[in-house]
Amino acid sequence: MISAPLRVLLLVAVISFTPSFAQPPASMQTDDPLLQAMQTEMARSKAQLKLEGMSSPYYIDYRVVDVDEYRAEAAYGALRSDTRTRFRFLRVVVRVGSYKQDSFFSQGEGVTQVMPLDDDIVAMRHQIWLATDRAYKDATEALTAKQAQLKQYTVDQPVDDFAAAEPLQSITPLTHLDIDAVPWRKTIQDVSALYATDPEIQSFDSSIYLQAVNRYFLNSEGTVIRSGQNLATLSIAATTQAVDGMELDRSPGYMVSDFKDLPTPKDLLARATNMVASLKELRAAPLVDEDYRGPVLFSGDASATVFADFVGENVLGVKPDLGQQARTKGAWASSYKTRVLPDFISVVDDPTLSSLNGKSLMGHYEFDDEGVKAARVPIVENGKLVNYLVGRTPIRDFPNSNGHGRARIPANNPGPSLGNLIVRSSETLSHDDLKKKFIELCQQRELPFGYYVETFGPRRTPRLLYKVWVKDGREELVRGAVLGDLDVRSMRNDVVAAGDDVYIENRTLNIPHSVVAPSILFDELEVKRANANKNKLPEYPAPAVATRK
Amino acid sequence: VLWRLTYSEYRNASRAYLNVKTKMQVNAQEEDQSPDFSEEPAQQHADSTPLPASADQARLEAMVRRYSALLSKYPEIYSSYAIVSEQITRLHFVSSEGTQVVIPSATVRLAIEAETRAEDGMELLRFETFQAESLDHLLAESEITARVAKMATDLKALRAAPLAEPYNGPALLSGRAAAVFFHEVLGHRIEGHRQRGENEGQTFTKKVDELVLPEFLSVTDDPTQRQLNGTDLSGWYTYDDEGMPARRVEVVKNGVLKTFLMSRIPVKNFSKSNGHGRSQPGAMPVGRQGNLIVTSSNSTPNGQMRQKLIDEVKKQGKPYGLYFEDIQGGFTLTQRAAPQSFQILPVMVWRVYADGRPDELVRGVDIVGTPLATMNRILITGDQTEVFNGMCGAESGTVPVAAASPAILFSEMEVQKRAHSLNRPPILPPPGFESDAVPAKKGSQS
Repeated sequence: MISAPLRVLLLVAVISFTPSFAQPPASMQTDDPLLQAMQTEMARSKAQLKLEGMSSPYYIDYRVVDVDEYRAEAAYGALRSDTRTRFRFLRVVVRVGSYKQDSFFSQGEGVTQVMPLDDDIVAMRHQIWLATDRAYKDATEALTAKQAQLKQYTVDQPVDDFAAAEPLQSITPLTHLDIDAVPWRKTIQDVSALYATDPEIQSFDSSIYLQAVNRYFLNSEGTVIRSGQNLATLSIAATTQAVDGMELDRSPGYMVSDFKDLPTPKDLLARATNMVASLKELRAAPLVDEDYRGPVLFSGDASATVFADFVGENVLGVKPDLGQQARTKGAWASSYKTRVLPDFISVVDDPTLSSLNGKSLMGHYEFDDEGVKAARVPIVENGKLVNYLVGRTPIRDFPNSNGHGRARIPANNPGPSLGNLIVRSSETLSHDDLKKKFIELCQQRELPFGYYVETFGPRRTPRLLYKVWVKDGREELVRGAVLGDLDVRSMRNDVVAAGDDVYIENRTLNIPHSVVAPSILFDELEVKRANANKNKLPEYPAPAVATRK
Repeated sequence: VLWRLTYSEYRNASRAYLNVKTKMQVNAQEEDQSPDFSEEPAQQHADSTPLPASADQARLEAMVRRYSALLSKYPEIYSSYAIVSEQITRLHFVSSEGTQVVIPSATVRLAIEAETRAEDGMELLRFETFQAESLDHLLAESEITARVAKMATDLKALRAAPLAEPYNGPALLSGRAAAVFFHEVLGHRIEGHRQRGENEGQTFTKKVDELVLPEFLSVTDDPTQRQLNGTDLSGWYTYDDEGMPARRVEVVKNGVLKTFLMSRIPVKNFSKSNGHGRSQPGAMPVGRQGNLIVTSSNSTPNGQMRQKLIDEVKKQGKPYGLYFEDIQGGFTLTQRAAPQSFQILPVMVWRVYADGRPDELVRGVDIVGTPLATMNRILITGDQTEVFNGMCGAESGTVPVAAASPAILFSEMEVQKRAHSLNRPPILPPPGFESDAVPAKKGSQS
């Protein structure tokens, strides 16, 4: 039994003791309650988290993503959904072991939890406390499980589990979702009302998605990063059917990081009107020929898609599964320092660029999601693969992060990802010269026409594909095609020229990034008819539009 | 939207119809040759009373903050939350038979959960929900606050409680516990569509007009009853999800099974809906429970029920009986492929000793059993009906239901040990309670 006076004394002692670990380092003092909560729990966990008989963590990180978002969707001129959501997710990673071999494996890969939205420091600390406790215990078990599994393999060239990185501090202002939803609701309603201009349109919708994302990152090495970014996606989509039943769709969109770069209602309406017109043209367009093998010209838009898919996917230095010997998981796992593209093509990934030719780049960031400074990385130099994009998980020959460890919103673990993927050609042709060369190639093969891809839909099916006639250069829209042998090999061997244009595509799928590419010419690709089912046309027409208003 | 859905559903239906016709030729005849869909008169009911205004969001937020803050006082409650949701709905239903139904509805649901872990790793959970048609109908704040405080003291007691041992003997279920028992054990097995189909266990299919419960018990399912003893019943509705008017159905009368809870899927001898076709939006309605209410003609004042339990324990020569004060829910299996069984997840279970020792709280108990055997072991009931409001999930989705029952004494009930994790409690003390740990440390040093 402790007597009353003694208890008081002890309490006083405790109170005066608390600040020594409750306060963040002097250089990083902040008014931000969330950051304070993270710092306090970090200090406590670093100092005290230990299971008896087990080792303490050698590394801890806390990542919080705070998202305020607005979403609205309209169809057939009427609002279909309209929501404003706010959420905060916490991800805690605790690593036990050492940089050489640690617990980052299976259940040891971290714990995700929902964080309180109120800036109530104790409530936030409580959630971090629980997640840290769980993550540490899971990590302790995971390390043993990993070591047990590794005993079954011989590993010839061991790679460290975690790369060292310099501690960095950067606190930039928070971003807020200051928007007036009313005009956006009206715009998407007005745009989707365009369905009524063409009775053959079967579905038509338009949506707006605005996000203010604030990211917090803190690790036990002393890194403290806070940054804010806005993201916006505005899209329109419509479907129709050709008389033979082929389903046709278009879904153009805008993705920007500065809301001011979104199109005006007038521009959006013009784009949508254009889309309706192109669907009408597609309905009337003839089916593509059964067989074709020959030159195919890609617009910058189409080219950006294939560079993202065949280059972007394969330059990510994703560590292979436990015990596997490959360098990465991609198709270019064993292509290091070999030729992967034509000699005249070079590719860099440069997240440090915030805009290009006056257009903002969505893949711009200062620090990645592992608290490493973003860096410009040459990937392909004169056709040869010279680098992979890596985060803090090393792969063979790449022991250090090059600032490309990025995470999906809200709470995935970071992994190697694209920033701004920029494709450049050392030999360029003007638009006219490129088309001339394309036609010459067709003539050499004695083909009456070649194909020009303007844009792709999902799974690289051409959405707008033109037959270009050799005799007069006329372009004729066709439908129902797929490209037969478009792959990594054809990117390396069959691209023969590139344009002097610079197409910028902002993409938000999972992780915001940009792809910049010129138009390219393939000297040989297969274009064939899609093997798709043709659904019957509706048994009866759409409701009469005249009854509206 | 309606145009596109109609023609695409017509195509799906045409294809399905062809498949069904072929299957009927290829497969052996099903036991139950009832038609696929019942003929019903068209309903016209347009209730266009304006929907109630939604509660002020800030007020709801402040309310859950208050309840959640109550639990943050207790260092041993590692994790807790309070959720409030309000749903205001207007359902529109039209059919080609001429039915036109428009029904407004509203619910407010408050859920509070608190969790702790015993030293051996067992997770201990208390969960309370409060449901009503509007915020004003919800239990008074002072009463909810008292319930939250009880959750905390219950958990503290549970952490210290000994583990229960497997046991088979007399058991007393409180009204709320008994209500869940009837929902799982009887309620799900009298849902009409479960009486056909070759995969269903069909416990009661051929028991119509036979005794399935003791003669002093009757069971009705009455979705038209809006309140019971002043509590809003969450299984209240006026029209079901097939546009049929809700009806009070006497399922078991004086122990004898009379009928089933019917949607428009007919079963042998029951060709019409009785207004129990329910589903969550977007799912296909089937026969489901609304407000399942158990009544008894053999009741004893609640105050004497504990003594009756002790008498039965003594009669059987057992050292103790079990009293189930509260439960968090349950589930049941009705498919043939699995054993016909049910499980109820009690939280507050007491050993009531025959020798006069004080009652002892135990933890880690699950009730298990098979339906027919258990229902025949009911001896007597209490005299006060208690309500359990909840959400019930089955093949047609999650629907709000209520179950009500008096306390029930069973001559025999089987319990098993609950599986639990072996995770230790957190290593560090919770934020805000660091000081509590430090004196303890110093104390052990001195």
